[in-house]
Amino acid sequence: MAKGQPLTFDLDEDDLKLFTEEADEQLELLDTALVQLEGEPDPELVQQIFRAAHTLKGSSATIGHKRMASLTHAMESVLDAVRQNRLTPESDVVDALLVALDALRVLAAEVNTRVHSGIEPGEIESKLKGILEGNAAGNGVAVKVAPSAPATVPPAAAEALLADIAGGKQAFHVHVSIDATCELPGIRCYQVLQELEAIGSIPWSEPGRDAIESGNGEYTLTIVVAGLIEEGHVRAALEAVSDIGPVTVSHLGVDELAAASPIEAAPVAVARPRLSVVENDAAPVAATPDAKPGKKGSQSVRIDVERLDGLMNLVGELVIDRTRLQQIRDAANPVLKEANLQELMQNFEETTSHLTRITDELQEQIMRSRMLPVRSVLSRLPRLVRDVAAKCGKKVDLVMSGEETELDRSVIEEISDPLVHILRNAIDHGLETPEERRAQGKPETGTVTVTAWNQETYIYLSVKDDGKGIDTSTLRRKAVEKGLISREAAEAASDDAAVQFIFLPGLSTAKTLSDVSGRGVGMDIVRTNIERVNGNVSVRSEPGKGSEFIIQLPLTLATTKALMVMAQQTVYAMPLVSVTEALLEREADVHTVNGKRTLRLRGKLFPLIDLAEALGDGASTAPEGERFVVAARHGTRQVGFLVDRLLGEQDVVVKSLGDLIGNRKGLTGATILGDGSLGLIIDMPSLISEQARFAA
Amino acid sequence: MASRPGAFAPEDEQAPSAEEHVVVFRLGQEYYALDIQAVQEIVRIQPTTSIPGAEPWVEGITNLRGRVVPVIDLRRRCGVEAAPHTSDTRVVVVGGSTGMVGLIVDAVTEVMRIPVDQIEAPGAIVSVPQNAYLRGIAKLEDRLVSLMDLDGVLPSHDSADTEDSSVTETIARAA
Repeated sequence: MAKGQPLTFDLDEDDLKLFTEEADEQLELLDTALVQLEGEPDPELVQQIFRAAHTLKGSSATIGHKRMASLTHAMESVLDAVRQNRLTPESDVVDALLVALDALRVLAAEVNTRVHSGIEPGEIESKLKGILEGNAAGNGVAVKVAPSAPATVPPAAAEALLADIAGGKQAFHVHVSIDATCELPGIRCYQVLQELEAIGSIPWSEPGRDAIESGNGEYTLTIVVAGLIEEGHVRAALEAVSDIGPVTVSHLGVDELAAASPIEAAPVAVARPRLSVVENDAAPVAATPDAKPGKKGSQSVRIDVERLDGLMNLVGELVIDRTRLQQIRDAANPVLKEANLQELMQNFEETTSHLTRITDELQEQIMRSRMLPVRSVLSRLPRLVRDVAAKCGKKVDLVMSGEETELDRSVIEEISDPLVHILRNAIDHGLETPEERRAQGKPETGTVTVTAWNQETYIYLSVKDDGKGIDTSTLRRKAVEKGLISREAAEAASDDAAVQFIFLPGLSTAKTLSDVSGRGVGMDIVRTNIERVNGNVSVRSEPGKGSEFIIQLPLTLATTKALMVMAQQTVYAMPLVSVTEALLEREADVHTVNGKRTLRLRGKLFPLIDLAEALGDGASTAPEGERFVVAARHGTRQVGFLVDRLLGEQDVVVKSLGDLIGNRKGLTGATILGDGSLGLIIDMPSLISEQARFAA
Repeated sequence: MASRPGAFAPEDEQAPSAEEHVVVFRLGQEYYALDIQAVQEIVRIQPTTSIPGAEPWVEGITNLRGRVVPVIDLRRRCGVEAAPHTSDTRVVVVGGSTGMVGLIVDAVTEVMRIPVDQIEAPGAIVSVPQNAYLRGIAKLEDRLVSLMDLDGVLPSHDSADTEDSSVTETIARAA
């Protein structure tokens, strides 16, 4: 078999979907977990990785993907050695596993393409084997096993334990791994539970007692046991159970429990030697924020996105009908009153207002069910940082927080690339080399912080580094050299404004081109991509201290906040993200420069454009002076739009104009208005760019 | 769905009696028909929002129970002289290859079955430009009914004269 040859696998269309989903999930898990593994063999993590490899081996063998099965088998052997503390996961081990993972990803993709990718895992396998044999010599290298964080004990159990301890009892946090070769881990879990119950009480376990008793135990089990016992008793009790791998037993004192007791599992900052991740141990079932810890994931269901989209559309129709019903009610009210049908009228009132509440609720619930935690994007970053840092010869600590922040999946798909690009830049251009940092009295290891948070109806993502900051004098010079901006404008710009030049198209600040940040096409593309989803990106920088990029995104692409305006009898929605202010025409400072209407606002001059005319709908016929001016910005370009009337702000649901009409100049779609008619949504970035160009 | 121009007769596989099941409507003094399979519903004329810069035969978009549906003025599309809407004016909503589209017609007159042997190729009777969206002419006892080819009436997106906004963007950046 060689590259390009067709392949056949033993699976049908449905199986293919399942296989792909499962493989993607496991590969993503491996990606994150392997990087964390380095230097830190937390038994739970090792177990997780081992299981992911095991699952992949199983599924690839089932469909007859021999090369994939054989490679996962080789990985599994190495991981097994790590799991049994026969091998320390030093960086060479992790490197080899990551190389294998990359190959695995290509092999998994073959199932979809059905074409041989040319990957033959033999070499990687022998490397993995070499690692295994090389370390087998130094058999018995002791690895310090970090105790699992006792913070996972839920507050109720922690309180009960504190009472027990006050009564003179001892409490232990026990973590048990069942051998992966064990066919029925559930039975072993049950045995563990029984053995420990014989020596003390069990206020808490993960999985929970009910799950274990009904035979649903997993390959790992965490139990808290309390009683008049010592650690030795616990270990002795566990020896009675077979098929058990590494066991950790840690004493739970008042301090540990007190930490776990207040409110529920608070975010725990875990400082790690190379890559630190601020983890939030709250349940990952994002759609139910109040899900109890300890019931992780057990209540979730996979749903086809198309089905959710369908639901969303149906609710959209319901919302319209609701508005109609309200209008009918308003029309019917006087008639019913006239006819002395007060009771009927009241019933009508109540029913419509109830319907209104329910539809609102329904709409929100469905919107939420489309939301995913940003974790799915952020989880790729540790690996990326590791690779980029190695390539650039820099030392980097990645700190992430806010992974639970949720946003619509459509937005998630769009932000991944810009985020990765900014992060690469931060490491490649932002951070100094260890030598430079030392010379400046900074710690050798630079820190890049990625934070996500919610504010009003936006989500923000910040990428901050503690590097050298952006050199504004270089930016000014380059921008002028490349003819992107006039010398006067460049010199007049404040430092804060000059930093924004980084988003000018065709500007690269890297002195040499590296294969990390590409050819300097970077930041303007980043900005374009972010603006395409109605987002914004800004940058702040302080020389010697570092820089910060902040991405602002709407929570969902399905709705957008907009300023509703009227021009030539048509209602338009102007997304608020681009609108800077709105004012009365007669209060606006309008001049004529070179025969063109020009607006002076806050000390700046920019073109004033008739919105309807710009869209090709003829010039406004509304009386002059009674119209309004909407100032809008796209990047560094500003334009004022003349409109007939302002109708207020509104959340608009974005609907496509359909294939027949296609992408019309200056329009992104349509939205249904309260009265059932349609308004048009303006494509602000393209309209502003176009108008600014005409005016220039 | 609609068959290619001139290739209508033999492919009528599911109708052994060789009939076409059509919705007949009127534009001015002429009668046209659409395959009933393509027609999703017939509604009264409702408010539309015009699209600035769109082709002249695009009346605008309308809200059909929560869906944004483009509406085409079939008179203008077929080169029939414009006329005010009446109480008989209807929108025939069809599902074409570009999604749902509403076609404004003067009146929907009937639903009928036309025997295939009464249908002739359009070339023989009408002039060239209309061949693009006619696939045949049925000669009934009292009148002629033109069978419309939906894909011909609804131009695909490629042929529609649209401006690529990314091009505008590029030019703007270069400027």
